[in-house]
Amino acid sequence: MNQVKQLFTRYKMLALLIAVVLIWAFFSWQTEGGFLTPRNLSNLLRQMSITGILACGMVLVIISGEIDLSVGSMLGLLGGVAAILDVVYHIPLPLNLAIVALCGLLIGLGNGYMTAYLRIPSFIVGLGGMLAFRGVLLGITGGTTIAPVSPELVYIGQGYLPTVVGVILGVLLFGLTVFLTWRQRHNRALHGLVLPSILRDSVRVVLIGFVLAGFVYTLNSYDGIPVPVLLLLVLLGVFSYVTSQTVFGRRIYSVGSNMEATRLSGINVQAVKLWIFGIMGVMCALAGLVNTARLAAGSPSAGNMGELDAIAACFIGGTSMRGGSGTVYGALLGALVISSLDNGMSMLDVDSYWQMIVKGSILVLAVWVDVSTRAGRR
Amino acid sequence: MSDYLLEMNNIVKTFGGVKALNGIDIKVKPGECVGLCGENGAGKSTLMKVLSAVYPHGTWDGEIIWDGQPLRAHSIAETEACGIVIIHQELTLVPDLSVAENIFMGRELTLPGGRMNYPAMVHRAEALMRELKVPDMNVALPVSQYGGGYQQLVEIAKALNKKARLLILDEPSSALTRSEIEVLLDIIRGLKAKGVACVYISHKLDEVSAICDTIAVIRDGKHIATTAMADMDVSRIITQMVGREMSNLYPTEPHAVGEVLFEARHITCYDVDNPGRKRVDDVSFSLRRGEILGIAGLVGAGRTELVSALFGSYPGRYEGEVWLDGKPIDTRTPLKSIRAGLCMVPEDRKRQGIVPDLGVGQNITLAVLDSFSHLTRIDAEAELGSVEQEIKRMHLKAANPFLPITSLSGGNQQKAVLAKMLLTKPRVLILDEPTRGVDVGAKYEIYKLMGALAAEGVSIIMVSSELAEVLGVSDRVLVIGEGQLRGDFINQGLTQEQVLAAALSQPNGHDNNNDRKSA
Repeated sequence: MNQVKQLFTRYKMLALLIAVVLIWAFFSWQTEGGFLTPRNLSNLLRQMSITGILACGMVLVIISGEIDLSVGSMLGLLGGVAAILDVVYHIPLPLNLAIVALCGLLIGLGNGYMTAYLRIPSFIVGLGGMLAFRGVLLGITGGTTIAPVSPELVYIGQGYLPTVVGVILGVLLFGLTVFLTWRQRHNRALHGLVLPSILRDSVRVVLIGFVLAGFVYTLNSYDGIPVPVLLLLVLLGVFSYVTSQTVFGRRIYSVGSNMEATRLSGINVQAVKLWIFGIMGVMCALAGLVNTARLAAGSPSAGNMGELDAIAACFIGGTSMRGGSGTVYGALLGALVISSLDNGMSMLDVDSYWQMIVKGSILVLAVWVDVSTRAGRR
Repeated sequence: MSDYLLEMNNIVKTFGGVKALNGIDIKVKPGECVGLCGENGAGKSTLMKVLSAVYPHGTWDGEIIWDGQPLRAHSIAETEACGIVIIHQELTLVPDLSVAENIFMGRELTLPGGRMNYPAMVHRAEALMRELKVPDMNVALPVSQYGGGYQQLVEIAKALNKKARLLILDEPSSALTRSEIEVLLDIIRGLKAKGVACVYISHKLDEVSAICDTIAVIRDGKHIATTAMADMDVSRIITQMVGREMSNLYPTEPHAVGEVLFEARHITCYDVDNPGRKRVDDVSFSLRRGEILGIAGLVGAGRTELVSALFGSYPGRYEGEVWLDGKPIDTRTPLKSIRAGLCMVPEDRKRQGIVPDLGVGQNITLAVLDSFSHLTRIDAEAELGSVEQEIKRMHLKAANPFLPITSLSGGNQQKAVLAKMLLTKPRVLILDEPTRGVDVGAKYEIYKLMGALAAEGVSIIMVSSELAEVLGVSDRVLVIGEGQLRGDFINQGLTQEQVLAAALSQPNGHDNNNDRKSA
């Protein structure tokens, strides 16, 4: 039992991948292969992109030891603003994007200011925002759906990349994987650290290559890589870079792990938190745009319960509840688990009440596994 | 039948091979107040934990005779049932519950069906408060409505309600004002007259000599003497408390002391919970280049508050100015202090020092991460190079810099925290209890490092509760007592007795500032 625990702790992400495979295998068996068709997988990834975009921001918030419950409503509000600007005022798309992103940033910074500087617990700030933003949305839309949005905006949510671009992207990503693996080995060797066996690294690179090839091939055999999935991939890259390579990223972990020690080390912990919430706001804007584009309309109920999916994705993905540890790719794997459950159960025509029960149970189960393996280490 | 209420004979308590208590004898008669004195870490608290069965019978050697019968208690509940009640230094009241509810905590009077019998509890609580001569207290109000002094009285009422025959007071006056202490001492006198015995533990020897009939002194876990107060005075208590031989644990590196570099002017800190109370009261001092300044004083005297105010991390309201190089500098936040060249290694390593989820190397570079970044990207090469250099310089024992910091020993964690602060190249370094929870070897290395830094011209302020350490490494010693500067000594032929006497001394000429400063 202890060995299983240790393995689990070391290869947490592998365990999560196995979980995804099992879920997919189960649904594929139940739908007689319908789940694993390129069409459905493309659809699944598009559904996932919204939760995934939110999870990218949310994982930073949770690592820093806070929480943001307002993101679902904020997503709805910003998506609604985008729809209104597009449908009513015919604002050109680039300007629309800029305005909505700026609004997201400002609202996020507002949340951050209240949390970091006014010392209102982020749980309360989020709870208040959840109600208030939804209220504003209902007010500005008058409770009705805003449609139809322009084709340019729709492209963000429903467009596909040409297949050639998909292939080029796949090759580039594989090249990047090889380069990063080589550089890591080179650096470790330079400092006389133990190198992982060349076999292990090669197997890893080859596996990633297969996954990438499968990914591009599957999506290209439908309509190509969906635009929101590309957006999510870009965010995964940017956020992984920020959390692992930059000063700001290091400070996020440090603030979440021990805020007092970080403050006494001469770091402006309030500013760090402020900007984390600012980034969260921008992610809400992107998610809102994608959501509006996907529905081709601004809906007053858009993003309802979105915060719960994003938070669940982070926790399923191994982000610590105390703050201080977690990864972006983990959170995205968590989002994939949640979206797979949603998608699969919808295909099976499972009643929506059962869907909620299953999702809730999976969240609690995942966190239980996480907590029990963590306790073994300490 | 002996006429003693309590006899503790030859108590020995061992922690992993170290004798914390080594043959202690304490005897208490009914209605007697025994003062228990000793330096920080002498074993007073351990002894009281043996008596109150926090350490149950069987985990220590020796015998306890209570009221003529051997006492073999296994839990606090059993000793409380006998009438041995301990009042801890940190109050254990629930602030939002009423005075009466706190007094009856855990032994509530109930009506059938488990309902609280409030009228009976209020009635009894009022009777207790009358007994303590504070009849004006409204026992239905929450405890948080009353100040520290009254809260201490509530603790005593709680103890009396348990029918205490022996009351152990551990530093009861550390949170009280002078007039509140007077009330407390009066109440203890009243209890003595009723036959309740007391063990009074305090660093404030004036209180001890005012209230106690007998003084028992312990030092390094050994029983030194038990003497009637009539035959004692404060200076004899101090001699008994210290009387330790200094061995050569302190490496000295010759370093030149230069001109005045740093000045703290009129630092005053107010208590966070009780803003009327000054934790630090108008302290000013100066520090020279390359000087090691030890700050001595008893626990709770205000040393940590003083240095955290200098560094800008004191949680409450504070006033004062900090000067460097003859110019006032802004040190209102740790960030500003570090930029100005003033660094602090805080007292509580776990809470304020290490970042547990980061590795050893990442902890070390936390404060200077910006200097390794190009366009916010961390240059991993440069960072690792710097970390390896620091690990070598500090003799930090870590297999590699990516290990979690929590896997290191206390001494190596402390070295990592020190390295973190040294990377900022401070000109003035504050070390608050730098060797607490650190093994002897690492201690020696930390002292050596301090000497080397001083030789490089860094000025060091070291707060320490170990007098031997203060005298072993400092060039100059400041003594703080009850938030005030009680002494400023050049460390040449300075003795522990002198320092302790200054720390314990009555603030003579309390109202006359000039007198105190010239002393």
